[in-house]
Amino acid sequence: MAVPKVITIQSDLDIVAARMAARDMAKSMGFGAIDQARIATAISELARNIYLYAGEGTVTVSEVQQGVRKGIEVICEDQGPGIEDISLVMQDGYTTSKGMGMGLPGAKRLMDDFEVISIMNEGTKITCRKWKR
Amino acid sequence: MDIINIPILKIENFLIASIQVALHDLQAVQFKDAVLQRIYESKAKGVIIDLTATDVLDSFVGRLISDIAAMARLMGTTVVITGLQPAVAITLVELGLELPGIETALNLEKGIAKLRKITESNADGSA
Ligand SMILES: Nc1ncnc2c1ncn2[C@@H]1O[C@H](COP(=O)(O)OP(=O)(O)OP(=O)(O)O)[C@@H](O)[C@H]1O
Ligand SMILES: [Mg+2]
Repeated sequence: MAVPKVITIQSDLDIVAARMAARDMAKSMGFGAIDQARIATAISELARNIYLYAGEGTVTVSEVQQGVRKGIEVICEDQGPGIEDISLVMQDGYTTSKGMGMGLPGAKRLMDDFEVISIMNEGTKITCRKWKR
Repeated sequence: MDIINIPILKIENFLIASIQVALHDLQAVQFKDAVLQRIYESKAKGVIIDLTATDVLDSFVGRLISDIAAMARLMGTTVVITGLQPAVAITLVELGLELPGIETALNLEKGIAKLRKITESNADGSA
């Protein structure tokens, strides 16, 4: 199994680094081109949210196994302001910046599993996975 | 630092910009500004943004491309996106970004043909 990779998000350069790390791992695990693009795009959205809303945080990419199926797991964590109403931010078009409000609902559609844990004034942790078919 | 290096070529009345590297956000914004500036200076009738080498297009860059197309339109210039990889197109739609109103073509050659057609019919219409 590939060693987990941790990318610190502090600038917009790190957003590119995070999505490349996720893509590289997905590729080395044998995910196809479309899944690689899905995973990289979802991580780009989540890493940008960390940068925009929390200022900094980490993205951890690792290989996971559940029974016989293998997958890639990406954990995006920050100690930022937190999200007050998770069901609200998961709706298409909801934004508090001038974004399109597509990042979170879009990333969820691109991945297989998607869990958001957030505590106000403590931070946000998003765990998402994509399984190999 | 961080100044983008994406050559913008002029062929006939058209500009061609081919994105060959993974742009980070600041570079993507610089690219938008550079393209708009070149449209203004060159009075180009059409612009091709070639994405053959782009393997990830997220909402940030997707929106910038929409913005370039909308702003170019206001300046009387048509933008055509070429070379979108199937994986990128699928991902964009799943993400919820369909780039409405943006002209696309399979490759550079077809993009130029499309621009010729559009700009010729625009010229006919206003004559
Ligand atoms: N890590 C985070 N910490 C705090 N708030 C967040 C975080 N991520 C997202 N949010 C909140 O959720 C909202 C929706 O996020 P989402 O990524 O879906 O859209 P957006 O970032 O506003 O726009 P887009 O991603 O389309 O450019 C954000 O506007 C922000 O208020
Ligand atoms: Mg976002």
